[in-house]
Amino acid sequence: MAVQNYVQTIARTLMEEMRRDDRVVVLGEDVGKRGGVFLATEHLYDTFGPDRVIDTPLSEAAIIGAAIGMSVYGRRPVAEIQFSDYVYPGFDQLVSQAAKLRYRSGGAFTTPMVVRMPAGGGVKGGHHHSQNPETHFIHTPGLQVVYPSTPNDAKGCLKTTIRGEDPVVFLEPKRLYRALKEDVSDDVDFMLPIGRGVRRREGDDVVLISYGASMGETLKAADALSDQGIAADVIDLRWLMPWDENLVLERVAAVGRAVLVSEAPHSGNMMSEVAATIAEEVLDMLEAPPLRVSGFDTPYPYAQDRVYLPGPNRILHAVQQVLDY
Amino acid sequence: MITDAQRFQPFSDEPIRLIDEGGAWLAPFSCDLDDDTLIGLYRHMVLGRMVDERLVRLQRLGKSSFVAPSSGHEAAQVGIAGAVRVGSDWIFPYYRDTALALAVGWPLVDMLGQMMGTRADPARARQMPAHPGSRALNMFTVASPIASHVPVAVGTAIAQKLAGAGDATVCTFGDGATSEGDWHAGLNFAGAQGAPIVFACENNRYAISVDLQHQTGSPNVAAKAHAYGMPGYLVDGMDVLASYLVMRDVMAAARDGLGPALVELTVYRYGPHSSADDDGVYRASEEVAAWRERDPIPRYRRFLEGRKLWGDAREDELRAALKAEIDAAVKASEAAGPVPVEWMFDDVLSRPTPQLERQRERFRAARRAAGEDVEG
Repeated sequence: MAVQNYVQTIARTLMEEMRRDDRVVVLGEDVGKRGGVFLATEHLYDTFGPDRVIDTPLSEAAIIGAAIGMSVYGRRPVAEIQFSDYVYPGFDQLVSQAAKLRYRSGGAFTTPMVVRMPAGGGVKGGHHHSQNPETHFIHTPGLQVVYPSTPNDAKGCLKTTIRGEDPVVFLEPKRLYRALKEDVSDDVDFMLPIGRGVRRREGDDVVLISYGASMGETLKAADALSDQGIAADVIDLRWLMPWDENLVLERVAAVGRAVLVSEAPHSGNMMSEVAATIAEEVLDMLEAPPLRVSGFDTPYPYAQDRVYLPGPNRILHAVQQVLDY
Repeated sequence: MITDAQRFQPFSDEPIRLIDEGGAWLAPFSCDLDDDTLIGLYRHMVLGRMVDERLVRLQRLGKSSFVAPSSGHEAAQVGIAGAVRVGSDWIFPYYRDTALALAVGWPLVDMLGQMMGTRADPARARQMPAHPGSRALNMFTVASPIASHVPVAVGTAIAQKLAGAGDATVCTFGDGATSEGDWHAGLNFAGAQGAPIVFACENNRYAISVDLQHQTGSPNVAAKAHAYGMPGYLVDGMDVLASYLVMRDVMAAARDGLGPALVELTVYRYGPHSSADDDGVYRASEEVAAWRERDPIPRYRRFLEGRKLWGDAREDELRAALKAEIDAAVKASEAAGPVPVEWMFDDVLSRPTPQLERQRERFRAARRAAGEDVEG
């Protein structure tokens, strides 16, 4: 075990995977000599050289498109989009090319690749450095979407996805890059299973469900509830597509109350899907309707950077509503 | 094979041509192709034309939902195909590449299965017609969004370069594609990497109805290569020998590590953009008729006849043989029958998600409740 922060873990995991498998290549803007603007690819260029750590032109379509083409030829590309807010010039590559390649070719061609993107708010970046784009990708059949919230999870999920057979949108909560450190597995084959969430707290009064950067606020809310004598069960989804229906339904059915936290804009976000599934599958086990706490249907604001996020107070307010229902 | 790497000059004002409209050889060097190769080019052009005409008929009969006519493009497509080392090079075609796909060896029955959406389609009838692809041929499956395959092709070419195998990629598209952002992103990256790729533009002057003057302010497509640090060749794409020999040279240069190139092959599409188009609205029938006079197939036939390689008897024999092949393939692809309904759930990811499994179960239950045969 080594104590590492999130971004160090990404860089070290990439290093391990590139050592393990010659096919793994890294490409993106500033990922080479600079080591990435967040240093998520630090030391890779010095270790593996320009053939495997490719500084690309400033073009997201070229980065993602080339990653697809390299994967088709047998490479294992890990592409970096500098901010998820900048993925849109490459959106067509993900949606029209990557997501549909296996399907449209009847399985003849596949595109195992990972597109890493720092996402989320709380960094005073305004709407073009703060958004949470996961809904676009969840709504695109043919992509896997993962949004790990801790360094150790990031390692396990990154290894799983690099060694997988599918195109993956790998979202990283950038405000947590250096905000927390934890023990990270030093097992070079540490992998977390696709589509499996994890319980961060156990409790019987209310289930809090979240993922990505919002896990921090959700756990803070759980701690505050604990101080009031309310035991929250906390689920970290980790994977958004596929996502852990079994874990969610089992815990929500057992507890009967759920609050769903996501910092993406409210309408049609990941938690809308979770809420709909709860309603479809376990409605008669509920003591109260599931409530969502989320970002708002506005572009991500600048001046209100922190209050836009679903912080502990808004989560606690929602918990009170489901308890009082 | 290449006796003079500088035989063809990039950025010419007039298209490179090797035979004139009467089929006479024009070039200052001699033709180095053997008779079998020369006849093979002709055979593939006629095959492309006959299949295209059959596809148009099948669509009119309601046996196919769509067709993107390729007649008029045969010389360019057969020229491009001839320059490919099938199995080691990679091909990224676009939707109008009927003659190209056949010339690199795509089985007729696979093509007709794709066109008719039957079980004969190795891609399991997942796409609308005119979307070829074949893993065995390294021919990347077409996607409809224009130029979206260009950056992908560049990625494959970069991977070829890293592998050091001395292979190359060819990526085709129409004139409209050259206005897309992905096209420029791809060419720019290929230039920066010196990737072994040839971009082949089948310029038929119309992106559906929009003519070239409304597509670009550039004098021609080849000129755009200047911006990306690669040579741009302007070629008469209705001259199969010019198309083939220029493509052969630039593909060989790419394999030799000399970097990418852009080749513009000027062609004319005799049919509408697609079976859903009415080209009479945007171009005069006199214009089409004038280009029909310049049909690449009789033009090349005159060249072969001048060399005593062709005549009426051989023509009749070839057309009868090809017709029999096409008839048999149509029959086989129809006989394969429709694909099962539930195939629509397969091949989304390497394993189905629990979400999709649940959807499939509910779909099946609803079909059962409606009295449908869920196995069909």
